[in-house]
Amino acid sequence: MLLSMIVLIPLIFAVLTLLTKTRAQARALALVSSVAVLLLTIYTYFMFDSTSAATQFEEMYTWVPSLGISYNLGIDGISLPLILLNAIVIPLLILFTWNDEKHAPNRFYSLILITQGAVLGVFCALDFFLFYVFWELTLIPLFFMVSMWGGPKKHYASIKFFIYTHVASLVMLLGIFGLYFAAWNNTGTPSLNIPYLLSQFQFIGSGMTRDLIFLALLFGFIVKLPVFPFHSWLPDAYTEAPTAGSVLFVLLKIGGYGIFKIMLPLLPFTASPNLMITIMGALGAVSVLYGAFLALAQQDMKRMVAYSSLSHMGYVTLGAAGLVSLSVSGAMFQQFSHGLIMSIMFMACGVINNATGTRIMNELGGLAQRMPKLAVIMVLAFMASLGLPGLTGFIAEFSVLSGSFVNLQGYVVIALMAIVITGAYHLWALQRSMFGVYKEKLGNVVDINGYQTFAMGLIAILIVYFGLNPSPVLDMMLTNSEYLVGLMAGMGV
Amino acid sequence: MDLMLFAPEITMVVTGLAVLLIGLFLPVESKKVLGYLASLGILIALYFTVASLGTNALAFYDTLSVDALSQFFKIVFLVVTLLFSIAAIKYTEGSKNTEEFYVLAIFATIGMMFVASANDLMVLFVAFELASISTYTLSGFEKNNPQSLEASIKYFLIGSLSAALMLFGITFLYGVTGTTSIPGIAAGAAALAASPIGILAVVLLIAGFGFKIALVPFHMWAPDTYQGSPSLVSSLLAAGSKKMGIVAAFKVFIVALIALKVEWQIAFAVLAVITMTVGNAAALSQTSVKRMLAYSSLAQAGYITMAFVVLTPMALGGGILYALSHGFMKAGAFIVTAAVVYMVLSENKDAQNPDHIDNFRGLGRRMPVTALSMTIFVFALAGIPLTAGYMSKFVLFSSTIQAGFAWLAVIAILNSALSLYYYAKIVKYMYFLPTEGTKVSEPLPYTLALVVAVAGVLAIGFWPEPFIYWAMEAAKVLLAGGM
Repeated sequence: MLLSMIVLIPLIFAVLTLLTKTRAQARALALVSSVAVLLLTIYTYFMFDSTSAATQFEEMYTWVPSLGISYNLGIDGISLPLILLNAIVIPLLILFTWNDEKHAPNRFYSLILITQGAVLGVFCALDFFLFYVFWELTLIPLFFMVSMWGGPKKHYASIKFFIYTHVASLVMLLGIFGLYFAAWNNTGTPSLNIPYLLSQFQFIGSGMTRDLIFLALLFGFIVKLPVFPFHSWLPDAYTEAPTAGSVLFVLLKIGGYGIFKIMLPLLPFTASPNLMITIMGALGAVSVLYGAFLALAQQDMKRMVAYSSLSHMGYVTLGAAGLVSLSVSGAMFQQFSHGLIMSIMFMACGVINNATGTRIMNELGGLAQRMPKLAVIMVLAFMASLGLPGLTGFIAEFSVLSGSFVNLQGYVVIALMAIVITGAYHLWALQRSMFGVYKEKLGNVVDINGYQTFAMGLIAILIVYFGLNPSPVLDMMLTNSEYLVGLMAGMGV
Repeated sequence: MDLMLFAPEITMVVTGLAVLLIGLFLPVESKKVLGYLASLGILIALYFTVASLGTNALAFYDTLSVDALSQFFKIVFLVVTLLFSIAAIKYTEGSKNTEEFYVLAIFATIGMMFVASANDLMVLFVAFELASISTYTLSGFEKNNPQSLEASIKYFLIGSLSAALMLFGITFLYGVTGTTSIPGIAAGAAALAASPIGILAVVLLIAGFGFKIALVPFHMWAPDTYQGSPSLVSSLLAAGSKKMGIVAAFKVFIVALIALKVEWQIAFAVLAVITMTVGNAAALSQTSVKRMLAYSSLAQAGYITMAFVVLTPMALGGGILYALSHGFMKAGAFIVTAAVVYMVLSENKDAQNPDHIDNFRGLGRRMPVTALSMTIFVFALAGIPLTAGYMSKFVLFSSTIQAGFAWLAVIAILNSALSLYYYAKIVKYMYFLPTEGTKVSEPLPYTLALVVAVAGVLAIGFWPEPFIYWAMEAAKVLLAGGM
């Protein structure tokens, strides 16, 4: 029941929140729900056995027996850190928006909760049908979030995001169908159970079919991640979304999750594993470099952060393709770390935009003098993002690069080139916006309020904490990556 | 023979006649009662139909059969007519022709129900015509509205042509096999397969049914008729009458002409692909919501036609389930349009194009329940999970892959993605674009019909097991008859 509660509480509270009349009621209900989820998640975390790669807390009820669909939840060391990330950031996000003057606050908070429930559902689902339902359910609230409270190009951005990722989901669905029927034809019983279907993949006769299924699933995941060249929805959606929407996008770690949970167990059994590794490694490495260059070229701070997100997500695919437990667990940790860091960076962009009315970095300057609290937190997040040792970003990227070097030297060299550029655009952005002479035409700018300080500060503290002591989440990631790498080694990949 | 087998049809006939007679003696202001009476009668017929699921019997010298297939489709027709008649309580308010509106719809439904039960081509044709003629008249119900008249005439002319083609095809079948009984033709299929007349009959029948189902290139009438007819009649045409064409085609092709499978299978494959693609592509640029829904209805018919190509129990079950889901979704969407048209006309009697998409601006604030229902219907039509549309697509598309028609499934899925664009556009208009209009009170009958339709869409989405079970049973009837 524990996982069901974690998934269903936000969805139920979303409905209740929708019925409220005032902002005070809406935000209070949303906070209650998200804190409840956080407490349950922390409880789950302490009950979780991080030395085992097996599925834990499994729940199973039959749903549509004639098609082999069941309501089946369970978590492992891949999903729990991401659930934890989501459960930690959402209540802080609600606090961050505590004093925002948004219209229709009931819908706003309701959409945040629906997104949370759907994302947690994806992480918990052990049935492909359920997985796909939650996967698609993440789309709808984010679509509304962008098109109701977004920036000037919100309609374009929201429709583009909706259709782009929906097409990718449909391709993924084709892959799921392929897997489902191949197993059905082989064994005679329909089932959409994820671990079962993953274990049946190797018995599919035709190598061509196995490769097509793999690529269809991979496409669904890397568009969501996103990875070059399927990233073009990202800058629009991330930039046009309201701050809370951008943070929700950042917490949408389902693409990377799919790669670890579904792609890696299948990888050794494809007909041409080396080709698949090349695809993933190359796309990852190019994303790292290309995203960094694009970020360097941006004037709009939020757009820069969006592209930097693309660059960082490249490490996830690269590390996954590295196929040693150091790189795989580093890539998993990158997802966790990136969620924390980017949350602060998007919050900072939102605060600056509200305070000064612009996000164009050349029009900003010297903000640190008027917004000292923001400056401290923001500098810390930027340092974490560019990979300063002692913070989470360093651990993730160092593990990915050093781990992947074993198998993928060429790609690591490409990604290494990006490190300089990454440093450059982060520092340059800070220099242009926060430091230097204060531009008087920005008017009387006030610093972040108490709620915002608390929300951003707490995430910043977590970045430092996990940077110095990553083992609370890294241990379980390592357990699972060793298991995954063991699978590969068994097949001689 | 047990007359209780036809309890649903008898109930409908009694209801229809009662509405007609009582209507003669009622003053205009109390004709509302007719709507309640009709809805009650339909509800009772629906109850009888659901209760008779699982019976298998032949009646009237084997010309009518009662089985899972016929009863499932009767449920589809009755559900659509129920939604229609609840919503019509508001639409016919103050009209002195109320009883005619109801009687025509009820008789159309009776025709459709007999088509579902038909086991003989003559019965099938007569029932087909009963339904068609009733709906021709309904299309022209707004006799002061030139658009409605144009819709009716167009529908009538093309409908008659298609009926003639169909009848022509049937005569060839009779000429070669010497019988009009559907199992009889299946038994004499060897003779058909051997002679070129068989092919000719298939071509004529595909054209005849193609008009009714509105498959491209036989679809020209559909957008004009759906747009011009009163919205409620469009709901009956798209959600009910079209399904009649599908069940008739199921019977004729899959049961009677299974021996010529190779010939018509490829034709349906081409028709399915063209229909869904043209439907979705044309829907993209429409500004009239009814016309957009008409094209979307083409696309949906294209998906259902895939069942003719794949021909596995699961695919046919998926197609049949899709027919039910589409009944709820499309009828619901047209009823929303009816509610919006009502709202526009009650504000300004002479408004032009009351179903223009601009009238959907800010509907989320003006008519919250209607807008929310529309959102659910269009998302269901687009195939977003936990709705009836997704469940049906899941079964139908996945069975297509199972049977090795991956290319067809890919085209269908791409189409499905394309359709999201225009469905999302309606949602955008309803929730995101500003409007000067103020909140209006939503007419209760429309709202009630919408709530029923939403309940259906969500029930199939969340708890599909019984629906899938009966759709599969219906599919087994088809395949058992044909193979």
